[in-house]
Amino acid sequence: MGDSQYSFSLTTFSPSGKLVQIEHALTAVGSGQTSLGIKAANGVVIATEKKLPSILVDETSVQKIQSLTPNIGVVYSGMGPDSRVLVRKSRKQAEQYYRLYKEPIPVTQLVRETATVMQEFTQSGGVRPFGVSLLVAGYDDKGPQLYQVDPSGSYFSWKASAMGKNVSNAKAFLEKRYTEGVELDDAVHTAILTLKEGFEGQITGKNIEIGVIGSDRIFRVLSSSEVEDYLQEVE
Amino acid sequence: MSRGSGGGYDRHITIFSPEGRLYQVEYAFKAVKAAGVTSIGVRGKDSVCVVTQKKVPDKLLDQTSVTLLFPITKYLGLLATGITADARTLVQQARNEAAEFRFRYGYEMPVDVLARWIADKSQVYTQHAYMRPLGVVAMILGIDEEKGPQLFKCDPAGHFFGHKATSAGGKEQEAINFLEKKMKNDPKFTYDETVQTAISALQSVLQEDFKASEIEVGVVREEDKLFKVLSTDEIDEHLTAISERD
Repeated sequence: MGDSQYSFSLTTFSPSGKLVQIEHALTAVGSGQTSLGIKAANGVVIATEKKLPSILVDETSVQKIQSLTPNIGVVYSGMGPDSRVLVRKSRKQAEQYYRLYKEPIPVTQLVRETATVMQEFTQSGGVRPFGVSLLVAGYDDKGPQLYQVDPSGSYFSWKASAMGKNVSNAKAFLEKRYTEGVELDDAVHTAILTLKEGFEGQITGKNIEIGVIGSDRIFRVLSSSEVEDYLQEVE
Repeated sequence: MSRGSGGGYDRHITIFSPEGRLYQVEYAFKAVKAAGVTSIGVRGKDSVCVVTQKKVPDKLLDQTSVTLLFPITKYLGLLATGITADARTLVQQARNEAAEFRFRYGYEMPVDVLARWIADKSQVYTQHAYMRPLGVVAMILGIDEEKGPQLFKCDPAGHFFGHKATSAGGKEQEAINFLEKKMKNDPKFTYDETVQTAISALQSVLQEDFKASEIEVGVVREEDKLFKVLSTDEIDEHLTAISERD
């Protein structure tokens, strides 16, 4: 990876034992648009703000929530271009697993492989860490799962989590609202209310994105009209 | 105490600054502005038009060789704003990629696929220390088989979006303000309206009236799908129409 001239790691330890490049990457994530995920009893929902730089941008050309496999989806906070690289690598890893084992990749394994890629970029020569945190939502034989992966490559399983600009308020809101065994529909409502908490301006079906996966194990991104329907139910 | 700014290297190569920013990418954006040229792109109902200033710094230069508007294939055009040398490299690689795509998959490379490819390449330069980001903002135009006329803009950070109208270069923000007002109610411009909106936006923002030889205009139209660079006579027609209208 990288030219031989840069065969040394750019992410090195500081005298106090910190990896400052990773901390800076987390700062970059913290200035990204808010996103969150909630694990329900029968599915997972992930959602994000989709604020575009100008009304001239064609919002149909932008989709922040992506599927990695038919039963696993991902949303990010931070630098969009970096997330595209990770989505592409993860999709390829999922396909390679399927080709070898003729079975869809379990969620934990895909998360682990994606996290490994992110860790490699904190140690390899001539590269910088990824400026994104990912929320991976999936449904496999172990049931619904939600994982968060950070620029350092560490990952945890969450019942509900948030990232980006409004992370502290969003997490506080989720801690209050989360109940074990919540239904997917209610989780979507909670997700919308959490996004609404820190939202600047009027929330519509066009400036947020929601992805869901239920017991049918099919991950899909809701259309803007479906999001509008949920927004009306929440009013 | 932790080292503050990565030993000062965060301004020389693309590693994070303490605020989580990439200075090299931000400087690349500044290089695009410093080139002193403004470009505009407008998408209409069945056509897309891009316009840029043609600055020939020396009268002894062969004007036909000074261009920032490049055909990538018969159906895709690319308008580069920024450092000319970086633009030519990008165009060369894009032409190669589009040709290989056609050969490999048997159909023409769609606009958004080319835009994504350029943006992904730009992202690599923001993450690997051995190559600096390119000082170019690229506007790609073409007619998509399913979605109709498309205008994409790719920047040094690796972002790319589809646009109804957009701008790049020295007077980018003023042009975007002008275009936002024009496109507010989602107008469906005809071909002539598209071209004239783009040219008059440039004239208004730079506050000068152009001669046909001082601007470059590129278009794609739904009817024939081919990317065309307008000749000075065709540009003159539009300029006349604009001045008669005002």
